[in-house]
Amino acid sequence: MPQGISRRNWFRATSAAAATTAAATATTTPGQRAGQPALQVATNCEMCFWRCGALAQIQNGRVARIEGNPQHPLTQGRLCARGNAGHQTLYDPDRLKRPQLRTGARGEGRFQEISWEQALDWFAARLSDLKSKYGPESVAILPHGVSSGFFSTLMKAYGTPNSAEPAFAQCRGPREVGYALTFGRGVGSPEPLDLANAKAVVLIGSHLGENVFTSQITQFADGLSKGAQLIVVDPRFSTAASKATQWLPIRPGTDIALLLAWMNVILAEGLEDKDYLAKHAHGLDELRAHVKPFTPEWASAETELPAAQIRDTARMMAAAKPAVVLHPGRHVTWYGDDTQRARAMAILTALLGAWGRSGGVLLPTALKRGSFKLPPFPESKRGRADGAGTTYPLASEEQGVTNGIVEATLTAQPYPIKSWIVYGQNVLESIPQRERTLAAIKLLDLFVVVDILPVEQTLYADLILPEATYLERYDAPHIVESAARPFISLRQPAVAPLHDSRPGWWIAKQMAARLGLDAWFPWKNPDEHLSKLIEPMGISLSELKARGAMAFEGRPTIEQRTEADGPLFPTESGKIELSSKTLKELGHDPIPIYHPPADPPPGWFRLLYGRAPVHSFARTENNALLNGLMSENTVWMNDHAARDLGLAPGARIVLQNSDGSESLPVAVQPTAAIRKDCVYMAHGFGQQAPGLHKANARGASDTPLISRVKIDPLMGGTGMRVNFVRVKPEVHT
Amino acid sequence: MARYAMVTDLTRCVGCQACTAACNAEWDVPPGQARTRVLPTGAVGKFPHLRSAFYVAQCNHCDDAPCLSPCPSGATFRAENGIVKIDRNLCIGCGFCVQACPYEARYLNPATKKVDKCDFCSARLERGRQPACVTTCTGHAKYFGDLEDPGSDVYRLVYSGGAQRIESDDVKVGPNVYYAGRRGEPELVAQMFPPRQPQLPSSGQWWSKVVKPLALAMVGATFAGQAIAFFTQLRKGEGQFDE
Repeated sequence: MPQGISRRNWFRATSAAAATTAAATATTTPGQRAGQPALQVATNCEMCFWRCGALAQIQNGRVARIEGNPQHPLTQGRLCARGNAGHQTLYDPDRLKRPQLRTGARGEGRFQEISWEQALDWFAARLSDLKSKYGPESVAILPHGVSSGFFSTLMKAYGTPNSAEPAFAQCRGPREVGYALTFGRGVGSPEPLDLANAKAVVLIGSHLGENVFTSQITQFADGLSKGAQLIVVDPRFSTAASKATQWLPIRPGTDIALLLAWMNVILAEGLEDKDYLAKHAHGLDELRAHVKPFTPEWASAETELPAAQIRDTARMMAAAKPAVVLHPGRHVTWYGDDTQRARAMAILTALLGAWGRSGGVLLPTALKRGSFKLPPFPESKRGRADGAGTTYPLASEEQGVTNGIVEATLTAQPYPIKSWIVYGQNVLESIPQRERTLAAIKLLDLFVVVDILPVEQTLYADLILPEATYLERYDAPHIVESAARPFISLRQPAVAPLHDSRPGWWIAKQMAARLGLDAWFPWKNPDEHLSKLIEPMGISLSELKARGAMAFEGRPTIEQRTEADGPLFPTESGKIELSSKTLKELGHDPIPIYHPPADPPPGWFRLLYGRAPVHSFARTENNALLNGLMSENTVWMNDHAARDLGLAPGARIVLQNSDGSESLPVAVQPTAAIRKDCVYMAHGFGQQAPGLHKANARGASDTPLISRVKIDPLMGGTGMRVNFVRVKPEVHT
Repeated sequence: MARYAMVTDLTRCVGCQACTAACNAEWDVPPGQARTRVLPTGAVGKFPHLRSAFYVAQCNHCDDAPCLSPCPSGATFRAENGIVKIDRNLCIGCGFCVQACPYEARYLNPATKKVDKCDFCSARLERGRQPACVTTCTGHAKYFGDLEDPGSDVYRLVYSGGAQRIESDDVKVGPNVYYAGRRGEPELVAQMFPPRQPQLPSSGQWWSKVVKPLALAMVGATFAGQAIAFFTQLRKGEGQFDE
């Protein structure tokens, strides 16, 4: 008998304290609850936009735990840290609990709690006022997320075309436009990348691993296990770079030079997918002539990468063709020429024959969905205020240009914007040039925020509407066509809304009733809405509710496509446009051209930012579990540069940008894992919201430091990596 | 009898901490503490020739577990399936095992005043489920199973897949958590996070953490207290992994 056991008996027999404690703690241990939950609700996660399949486990009326849903076709039972922590957002004591009407000055944070009845009546009256005084276009909606559709419908019915979400002009807009110009369709989200079957994976500015989308990580790891070559282009030795066959620590802002040189090598050495291009592409001769001067030796001077490495990596990806995933990236608004960079990536993808191929980028399969017959939306005579379709000819009119709305609000051009309604995002963190956003907010007649937490923007709101979290509400289902197997995944409430919060759909529908816009909301309840939507899918509502997600047959490769899928390349020419007629007609470069970036002056660094795997945007920092994993960010600085500045690891510094804008104090992290000419921080920290007791003023935010942007003339995206920062010199008194 | 083991494939691990979050949620681990944690080695080498990896650290359920003998109450024990466990009812929170663990895998929970650590999610295993860190891992980097079962993933990875233990020249206590990797990650982790020498309690610690509180408890306990304790225990019966 082991020694420990006899002592156990001795202790048990003698210690009253031990035994009474035993009686007190003999209730269920935490781990046991996960094995046999009383009730399990299949839904999808909203801790980020990947919306992984989740099973909420209910005990005693509470969500005790969330685990992955193994029946979800894409995410197959996996959840990241955020997904596992979702219930801590639900039970966050800092949540917005009741509707609040501002009583103090904007920003002061003084509010009066009111009932929903009062709140919605007040809101509706203000919207009616604005409509009669300034026209419906004076109201802009800034939505984000899966339920934004309800608010978009409401505001379209109200009569405003001004809807803009940061997912476009601050995120993946350039990529969608650049790929659509090339292949006739954008990449879509989730990105249908066949990473598990790729023989080569190229990440250029994509920090997959720190940017965590469960299924993409799983497939990435599958590819690596099968021996895929990994080429990572990043000024920082990222997690992905640590797994790379080749890491290219590129000089920031020179990616187009590298991409042109890769094309140069592939075409000069005849390594392109000749059959694929002959069959599907248009403009190869022009491209060949265009890239001829851009040799690896030329690119080496721009990118500060060895010419041999550029050549080797071009050959490496060509050897793997067509099973190459050149990751199109996600947040790609960097330097203002981002659509052209995305074009260069799309063209390279085409040269490798990887679009619509196994191991490359897969094609979406359309799903039929039912819809109610709605009256036509009123047409605006004044058009959009954000420049989508006009100033920015290729901007999505569905997603809009957020910074165009800010601009119009500040300048009253082309006409005054008097009201913003924000749903599901925090505009002070999601849109750069924070001071401009604040200035615009101060000009508004009406600023309404629908949110879950008292994030900074709520301090400026006239009316705060507390939304139920994703675990307490029905949302429009997540219908994904851009996957090997297209699917529908359900969002349904696991528990009833806490406090006095309400689901987004309910708020929108209530507002519609008050504004006389019922005709656009012809369904009585979520079940009716959902039943109509899935009508043509041939699935049962009860089965969908039980399983949480259902998949359909996909035809993701060119070889599998049928007539029913429509044209392979829905471009003007019906082919892949290596040289773009559309761009030429708009007076832009039909094939991307490289423009060298400005270098930071001595003593200054280019500010780079990205994601931490345990947080989403500025949304999760107050979550108790996730805050426990990471409560602050750090500034990554090259170790030699830090030594030159006399900065020890953990020293607290203030960053100051070229316009004198400053960060909150933040710890410096000297590391060999970043170039000397840039610094890096995770986004989402340094929030200035006293109501967020865990997140307030922890770490530094990049948004005040991004006081300058370079606008993409094609789609209005804000190039955000054009700011230089330095360590604020200490002031000695 | 089963001999449970865990293998983490560090090539597949991206350090996302889903394992830590799942574990914390499963076991109500207080913020800032963890039963399993992900530690980056940081960049090692000279720019641009760098290496780095993540160390997914947890209790190793060692064959010669140094945490067993210093435990004054016998709360720490090994079950027959090899899992090193803590009987929370017996733990007096002295923390001797915390300092004895070469892998720093234990922590004293400030809320419960008990020591806590990974037990391979025994409560889930009993219901036929895998540990929470395994089922959630975004990279499918974690494998759990029985080293006595030649058909298991862990058997394959340990006996023919090159999975290794994190040991040092000084500390070899037979850990049952293994690490695999195609790019030398386990060696890098072993270099950066070598197990430390187990620290045994001093006589002063024995006095202040065990003898004195125990003596006080015994003096304070009334006959009634003893009787209640006795009958409570009798009614409850022995724990499932008791001898």
